Amino acid sequence: MQALLVFLAIAALSLLASSPALDPSRFPSLARLAASGFLFLLFGVVLGPSVVGALSVDDVDHLRPVMALGLGTAGVILGLNLEPRLLRLLPRPVYAAALAHAGTAFLFVALPLAAPLLLTSHPSLHAAVGAASLLGAAASLSSGHFAVLAYRAGRMDRARGLGVSLLTMLDDAVGLAVLAVALVLGAAPSAAEGLGLVCLAVLLGILCGALLAFLTHAMNDPAELATVTLGMVALVGGAAAYLRVSALLAGVACGATLALVGGRTVERVARALGRVERPVFLVLVFLVGCGVYTRDWAAWALVPGFVGLRFLGKVLGGRIAQRLAAGVLELPPRVGYALIAQGGLALCLVAEYQFLVPGGLARRVLDVVVVGAVVNELLAGQAFRQVLTPVKPRLAPAAVDDVEVAT
Amino acid sequence: MKGAVTRLVLLMVLLAIISRAQLLRADSGTSVTLAAGALLLCGLFAGKVAKGFGLPRLTGYLLVGVAVGPYALGFIPGEGVKGLDLVKGLAVSLIALVAGTELRLGLIRRVGARVALLCAAVCAVTFAVCFGATLALKPVLPFLAPLTMPQALAVSALMSTVVVSFSPTVTIAIVQETSARGSFTEFLMALVIIGDLLVMVAFALAAGMTRASFGGGFDIAGLLSGVGWELFGSVVVGGVLAVAMLVYMRGVKRELPLFLVGLSFAAAEGGTRLHLSPLLVSLAAGALIVNLDEREGERIHHAIQRAGLPVFALFFAAAGAGLKLDALVTVGPAALLLVVLRGVAIWFACRRFAPANDPRLKEYLWMGLISQAGVTFGLAALVSRTFPTFGPQVEVLIVAMITAHELVGPVLTRRALTASGEVRTDEAPGTA
Repeated sequence: MQALLVFLAIAALSLLASSPALDPSRFPSLARLAASGFLFLLFGVVLGPSVVGALSVDDVDHLRPVMALGLGTAGVILGLNLEPRLLRLLPRPVYAAALAHAGTAFLFVALPLAAPLLLTSHPSLHAAVGAASLLGAAASLSSGHFAVLAYRAGRMDRARGLGVSLLTMLDDAVGLAVLAVALVLGAAPSAAEGLGLVCLAVLLGILCGALLAFLTHAMNDPAELATVTLGMVALVGGAAAYLRVSALLAGVACGATLALVGGRTVERVARALGRVERPVFLVLVFLVGCGVYTRDWAAWALVPGFVGLRFLGKVLGGRIAQRLAAGVLELPPRVGYALIAQGGLALCLVAEYQFLVPGGLARRVLDVVVVGAVVNELLAGQAFRQVLTPVKPRLAPAAVDDVEVAT
Repeated sequence: MKGAVTRLVLLMVLLAIISRAQLLRADSGTSVTLAAGALLLCGLFAGKVAKGFGLPRLTGYLLVGVAVGPYALGFIPGEGVKGLDLVKGLAVSLIALVAGTELRLGLIRRVGARVALLCAAVCAVTFAVCFGATLALKPVLPFLAPLTMPQALAVSALMSTVVVSFSPTVTIAIVQETSARGSFTEFLMALVIIGDLLVMVAFALAAGMTRASFGGGFDIAGLLSGVGWELFGSVVVGGVLAVAMLVYMRGVKRELPLFLVGLSFAAAEGGTRLHLSPLLVSLAAGALIVNLDEREGERIHHAIQRAGLPVFALFFAAAGAGLKLDALVTVGPAALLLVVLRGVAIWFACRRFAPANDPRLKEYLWMGLISQAGVTFGLAALVSRTFPTFGPQVEVLIVAMITAHELVGPVLTRRALTASGEVRTDEAPGTA
């Protein structure tokens, strides 16, 4: 029954999201949440066990296979975006700029919040460090969808829009690296065992990626190609969930391996995955929302700190990034304000962490990041206006709700 | 062919590595997604290998499911296969939707009466033969031996009703695979669909009689309302679904395969929860759409063909993985005897009662009626749940029969279609 409920909820929300009731000119915030998929997140919170209870804890537990599939898919898509040739072309200051804005936000959030995490939940020191790192990692991530939107609407020139998008794409690597470290520390009784599990996830992904490249090589029928792609994504996510290792990291390794050795098939695989990206993402964020426990007052108390410190970190990090990338990458003035939107990867990180690291602290991290992500999305619209400088429109203005989900 | 074998072997090696790696972890996580991915990929390439050997792809899906499933190599845990029940329901709904779009009023007028008569005759003969054989086996069947004669009669009738059932899913999958078109194919499809409707009604009556013979009382009103709800309720819900689909197709006009998969999923899940027949719900929806708007019916047909490959490959590979090979060992001889008798009964009934105007019906129709799959599984599970004293043993016997029928049925169905001369191509893209 839970699966049917989820289907109906997603179907109802899809209709709502595409209805004129969510006219961006009348309800800009709501339309923004719907476009970014975060409306589904809120819907998950409301329907989940801790608010209305339409889905019980057992129901959410039974939907873990769907969650594993979603995380695996997100990972493969991220991995495919790690285009090795493009990454090799980027000059070093671009990496330095990306690291600066992501690292500053990470430090601004992780260091101050480690203390309250340690004090409020009495965990071991390394558990608190792992949880604080995850909060920092989630804070370091940004979504570039506002920049894309502004460029499409002719409110930002192309070079600046691309610059912001590039920075936000590169900070994904920081988040994933921190997740790996946090899993090394927290997913097993010893760090060595934790390292072994992370390596197992990566190895699994590499094997699956190489096999996917071989399976799709010389495959011409689009239906067969889509079937093999979906099957391999399910296999990599499912095998990771079965072995209790990170589906997200395995997926990234799978996608990156395919991008490296896949040749001509990479584009076709990416296109096949693109067709299911949005539905999978919406179901994933809905399920992440269902996992939120709204009665954890300590989590609510941490949210203002998370949002405020991240904001400061991004603004300051943006300034540093601008200095480092000067002359190499064109960035808009006050670029930090363009990096406030958080994106879906942050949700994937904390969902994965909650899966693999037992204890209430992981759930608290999830609660803080989910609520924080929604607040950041709402703040991002206002903050982005600080970045915009009027430019002559080169394209016909596109409707705001044309935007795809930012993952 | 060589490439498909290489790819299948590599996939199985990867699965073996994963199942070995599981030994490193004291507690394993959920295995449903793993089962889905593995069966989908292995099924797809096994289908290609089977095609290379001149067998239906469906046989490849089934055999690879058996091979990697929990009862043979054990690469996929049983819980993973069990968790794919949702996919099975979805596949049955999709297949029934396609079948419904074949039920045009013109066709029903043309062959309806002849199909119904032949169907009744085939079902009656098969039921009589299986009923007699089961009763004769009373002393050796452990679940029948201790029963009184009235109870044994009722249980034999119940079991024989289930044994009679056919498999619209297999028939339609093979028809899609071979792109068969013509009067023989129409006759065969109509017969398996009507046969299963007949079996559903007969099953409800037999279950009521069995309950009465075990002291539960014979509640005619309850029985009739149950059957009525399952049949007419399904048709009404199917009608509502048809309207929803037509509104969507005329209004939205995009992402039709995704929409149909979602709606079929809802029909399967919701139908089961409401004690309706998901098969009949989707069948009614498809039939109503094609008779209201033929063009939209065709669109549904093509859309499901596009979305059908992964669903069919996964469905039949999961069905193969779920086949309990150990059941064949324990009740094998009795099951084998019943399989042979059922086959002979169907062959005899077709030879004797099939319309004489088309000699192909007398000659080849019986081969298309041997398969058993989803509906038979469902009824066997229902017997097990409803009658916990003897039901689980009946289920084991029926599942053993299904195993045998699944392995030979698709091959025979394809042979029937080929022999009838209505197979157009073996390369229908995106089909099972």
